[in-house]
Amino acid sequence: MPLEIQVLQNMSSQNTGAITLKLIGSLDTATAPQLERELEPVMSRCGKDLMFDLAGLKFISSAGLRVFSIVRKQLKERGGQASFINMQPQITEVFEIIKALPGVGVFASEAEFDSYLAARQKMIQENQ
Amino acid sequence: MKLELRGTPEEVMRAVEALEVFGEERGIPPKILFGLTLALEECGSNIVNHALKRDEGKTFTVAFEHTGGQITIELRDRGVEFDPTAGPISDGVADDDEPPGGWGIFLVRKNTDEMNHTRENGENVLRLIKRLEQAD
Repeated sequence: MPLEIQVLQNMSSQNTGAITLKLIGSLDTATAPQLERELEPVMSRCGKDLMFDLAGLKFISSAGLRVFSIVRKQLKERGGQASFINMQPQITEVFEIIKALPGVGVFASEAEFDSYLAARQKMIQENQ
Repeated sequence: MKLELRGTPEEVMRAVEALEVFGEERGIPPKILFGLTLALEECGSNIVNHALKRDEGKTFTVAFEHTGGQITIELRDRGVEFDPTAGPISDGVADDDEPPGGWGIFLVRKNTDEMNHTRENGENVLRLIKRLEQAD
């Protein structure tokens, strides 16, 4: 099964301009290098946050987790995180390995992610 | 069913897709089948990357069997001796600075009941067994 990668600019009010990557298909030993290649230009322009929409992801192995782990580490160093939404149950189980790492955020939906961003923004404003 | 495959990641995924069809035809529950395809992907990748060193000219074989209430997957290669069961055992939770080694084998152990490696006549032989009657 191939991997289709769609790079989208978020239009939601909480996260305008941020980049979302929609992954469709299989993130495995054969397709993980493709994601790594496509991430290079994205990482240089995405700022400190990046969202992955995994609604269409049917399969993931440790090769895919490695790519996510590298991304979250780079974003964490920028003070941000890699966020993941719309995971299917079989993906969630594999994801348990990296779910608790700093720089990883897992949300059920885009709405839940937006609520998180709003709360984070509020906290930053209150601290200023 | 037995497949002969070249030492590339794409060939590993050809085996994974064949296992999907094999399992679906035999009515294996989707959750178990997903776990088995994941285990095969991880073990096949280890063979291609470590035993065969990504040499497309080298081959490995994968055989599936569904008998006696269990699925057996056997992988054989003539690469350098490589026992994936001998590595450090991951607890399945990554540390911040931990290199990602061990995640794949954790996923194999999680999704199978047995994983055995032997060296037979210059071949690495890895057998994965999933007992279906114990399935949740």
